[in-house]
Amino acid sequence: MRALLNAVKTGFAEIWAHKMRSVLSFLAIAAGSVVFIDAFSAIFATYDRLEKQKEVSGMARLKITQNYSQTYASPDDYVAPPAFTYDDVVSFREKMPEFYMVSPEVKDWHDVVEYDGRRMVTNLMGVTPEWIKRDFVYKLRGRFIDWHDIENKLRVCVLMRKSAPPPTNGFFKSMMKKWNFTQGFDTLVAHNDLLGKTLKIEGFTFTVVGILEELPYSKRPNIILGSSGDYKVLAPLTTLSHFNFISPGQSLDVSIDTGDEKTFDESLRRIKNFLKIRYGDDEFFIIENQLELIRERIGDSIKASLVTISLGMLAFIAGGIGIMNVTLATVFARTKEIGIRRAIGASRGDIMLQFIVEAVMLGLIGGVLGSAIGWLWGGPVKIMVGMDPSDIKAWMPLVSVFIAVLTAFVFAIYPAWVAAGLKPADALRAE
Amino acid sequence: MSIRCVDLIKTYEGGKAGWPALRGVSFEIKAGEFVAVTGHSGCGKSTLLNIIGLLDEPTAGQYEFNGRNVLSMSDQERSGARLGEIGFVFQAFHLLNRLSALGNVCLPLMYAGADSAEMKERAAALLHKVGLKGKERKTPLELSGGERQRVAIARALANSPKLLLADEPTGNLDSVSSREIVDMLFGLNAEGITVVMVTHDKEISARARRNIRLRDGRLEE
Repeated sequence: MRALLNAVKTGFAEIWAHKMRSVLSFLAIAAGSVVFIDAFSAIFATYDRLEKQKEVSGMARLKITQNYSQTYASPDDYVAPPAFTYDDVVSFREKMPEFYMVSPEVKDWHDVVEYDGRRMVTNLMGVTPEWIKRDFVYKLRGRFIDWHDIENKLRVCVLMRKSAPPPTNGFFKSMMKKWNFTQGFDTLVAHNDLLGKTLKIEGFTFTVVGILEELPYSKRPNIILGSSGDYKVLAPLTTLSHFNFISPGQSLDVSIDTGDEKTFDESLRRIKNFLKIRYGDDEFFIIENQLELIRERIGDSIKASLVTISLGMLAFIAGGIGIMNVTLATVFARTKEIGIRRAIGASRGDIMLQFIVEAVMLGLIGGVLGSAIGWLWGGPVKIMVGMDPSDIKAWMPLVSVFIAVLTAFVFAIYPAWVAAGLKPADALRAE
Repeated sequence: MSIRCVDLIKTYEGGKAGWPALRGVSFEIKAGEFVAVTGHSGCGKSTLLNIIGLLDEPTAGQYEFNGRNVLSMSDQERSGARLGEIGFVFQAFHLLNRLSALGNVCLPLMYAGADSAEMKERAAALLHKVGLKGKERKTPLELSGGERQRVAIARALANSPKLLLADEPTGNLDSVSSREIVDMLFGLNAEGITVVMVTHDKEISARARRNIRLRDGRLEE
């Protein structure tokens, strides 16, 4: 233990005596730490998003949409795809009662809302109470649309309150301003408590029964699949149909959560069967498997992160070679000292320990430096340059320092072995 | 403390046959002796001293150090013997310039596993003994040649060796310092430490109890 302490003391003296050489060694190792932390935070952020995404989309989420891309030999052969109507949804639900969620939805774009003498544009979305089963990422005030609203086609609505946009750069800000037609509506909802109030949508009076508050961007899981729909005003699907917001021939998109991943394939088969029996051909519809999509995205993301990790490892190896080079140079520069130490009684082990401890100290300081830079880069710097900050866990810098130390240790073994192998008499003769 | 060498041969690598430094040297040194090793430059004096001090190995021959066959000793055992039983004083002092006088004397004590306070106390006492009281914090570069050699002697005495090997210790010193250092070595011999000293100085060899004279790698009777 005492020998180790003395080796540490001598190591500090050596590092201090050769500042430039030491700083370059630190930087070589630090580069590895920075890349490592960045790559690991990217991988873990992806895993986190997968978990959250699974929670939100359910373990077995599907979406049935109309297939607009059928090909025909001649325009005369074209048959308009049949619509998936609300009656179809009701029938589907009756046949699949064990599914966790069967949520039909339909969008109506660019509706004019009037409130307190102001007019603005918004999007309307017709849904049923099942909609709430998936997007619990929203915080609800008031109540959601219920079956009573659906059956009686009541003019009630739930408004979406947008959260503050994520930090972004000037270009995206200006693009948002240009293309976001519903900004006026967003501002209205953000700055007025509309719960219980009435507003006019395309001339029809609707009562606001609930406000869904969007979670902040940092806590939102749907980034991985892009926008899951820019919801503004949710209203009973039957009401929108009754008041002609949507035409009778318009097909509904149906989001389905079969509730059980194990029976997913069987459920899929039953859904296809239903479509085939009801419409004669299941090609009229596309069944999107969202879980598959999530997995693909995650896979891509992990592949990209693995490339970054390999780069981090290469950076560590380069740093290790740097340390090996520095340690070898130190051995040759201090050959006489090695001879002196051997002459006064130092064993081979003492000499090896000396050089390994010095290299490990270079690795340790470099690793700590790299972790600090990695943390700064992952957080404050990324935010400053308009990138998404990395989610750096507390253990990542620790592991990174450990790898830096381990790299330095491994790469110091050879030079230390060379130093310990010098014959005392030969070493003493060195100039 | 005893040294027994029989037919020591040391050949350095180089050329076809190598370069012979020692060509069959046999002698014995008993405890408490002061032996001067003399001879012309290149006759093998330093090589012999390195072999006696376990810094080098003979190419052939027998060497018994304190009754142990040196050729069968492991590196650990040799290091242990150098640490506890042998002290070295070199012509070029061989001090670590980065460390203070005290630090240099502490080194062998550190390798011997002494604790910090004990180490400093012992090192300071040795520096006082060699007449360097008050200069403990000076680095070798701040000391004169004579003072550096005193530090080297203090360092050699750190672990109370039975054998002191001095390789031309006065070679880099002026006459006054030389005399002081030689007196110090004779004083240590009087205390019971065996001293083997390589020297060119006839006056010193005349003072020594015994002389080993080398010529072209052989003993000259």
